[in-house]
Amino acid sequence: MSFSRIDGFRIAGVSTCVPPTRVDNLSLGDRYGAEDVRKVVSMAGVRHRHVVGDQLTAVDLCTEAARRLLERLGWEPESVTGLIMVTQSPDHFLPSSACIVHARLGLPVSCAAFDMGLGCSGYPYGLYIASTMLKAGGQQRILMLHGETPSRFVHPDDHATTLLFGDAGSATALEAAPDSTQAAHFGLFTDGSGADGLIIRGGAFRDPRPADPRDLCVRMDGAGIFNFTIKRVPPLIQDSLAFAGLGVMDVDAYLFHQSNRFIMKHLMKKCGLPDERVPLTIEDTGNCGGPSVAVTLTRTQADRSRELRLMMVGYGVGLSWSSAIVHLDTNAVLLHGVCDEPPALDASPPEPVAQEPAP
Amino acid sequence: MSDRTLTLAEAMEMMADAFNEPLENLSPDTDRDSVPGWDSMGALMLIAELDERLGLELQADVSREMRKVQHVLDFLAAHGALSA
Repeated sequence: MSFSRIDGFRIAGVSTCVPPTRVDNLSLGDRYGAEDVRKVVSMAGVRHRHVVGDQLTAVDLCTEAARRLLERLGWEPESVTGLIMVTQSPDHFLPSSACIVHARLGLPVSCAAFDMGLGCSGYPYGLYIASTMLKAGGQQRILMLHGETPSRFVHPDDHATTLLFGDAGSATALEAAPDSTQAAHFGLFTDGSGADGLIIRGGAFRDPRPADPRDLCVRMDGAGIFNFTIKRVPPLIQDSLAFAGLGVMDVDAYLFHQSNRFIMKHLMKKCGLPDERVPLTIEDTGNCGGPSVAVTLTRTQADRSRELRLMMVGYGVGLSWSSAIVHLDTNAVLLHGVCDEPPALDASPPEPVAQEPAP
Repeated sequence: MSDRTLTLAEAMEMMADAFNEPLENLSPDTDRDSVPGWDSMGALMLIAELDERLGLELQADVSREMRKVQHVLDFLAAHGALSA
């Protein structure tokens, strides 16, 4: 499967959360060298980043984003039938992060909850899985969470990654809409032969205690990832448009994974995408992994006055790349904010809500 | 192979742009280590310039092996992108 068309659902809302600690990259000249910092800021385009420190996790950010979204939508927790957590920044190897969020949100035992281990391409993948679950029947309301804390992957001496990465969590609410005439189009791709291009080699079961502690941090082959991006993403965009029967100007906004401003600008030029249709948010929120697609959506499209057709584009670790062309109606809620209060670590989660079986 | 070509002067200008280095500082014999802008970011810029101007794909491992300006010129010539 490369491309698919799915209908019968709508996006009810998207909420994103960033941590309260905001770093100004230009303040790090003493550590990394003023000229190096200036070059990274001017090329990658990251001036500020929100980072979690050691107090918050992707689960915390996503839980807060989901709480705000449920409240704004007026969705009772008991009404949520599915929870998907897309992350490569889990709280634990086990249990899955989705189960922890499930408890914190007080979701019912009838709610399916599971993780998906994808990074930069994760947002379209998560939407795809959620929409197929809704289309399959049985599910009515799904929360698709995507959160990453890549600032915790980096080695402090590696300024190429340290100055690039920020953290964010997102929650997207989808609901069944059997009568909807709007279809979404998805494209999902993988090239595992490039897995070494962006990797944390140690710390998991292949090498639990690496001899080189640097192997507990992310290693990025920047040039190799750039090769991959300019080879794979332009055809992804062109083929996605063709599959949906659309032209470049039929899409109101192209929401890119905010990888690096230089790379995104190159992609825009190569694909002939107008600047005004490709919002960039990397300057203020950095590269926060796959959730940067959601952050760019909530930060730039909240003031719409009509229904929008959006193309979401994810690409990176895996190597994996993906697209989703979706409609966003005027009733869909978009929220963005700072996660102010780290939850108390000893806070007891609410009891899950038991539901009576359907007659 | 590229269906577009650069003259030697255009190729040198392209590298001056990519590495943010004055053109007069570059010659075929110039070592990579003597060009401050030919760092990891400069390498990305060169990959982008070759893709944009010539449709050529400079692989990361090939890029890393380039130690002199001449090696970039050799790459262009090998792909039919350097005119006489």
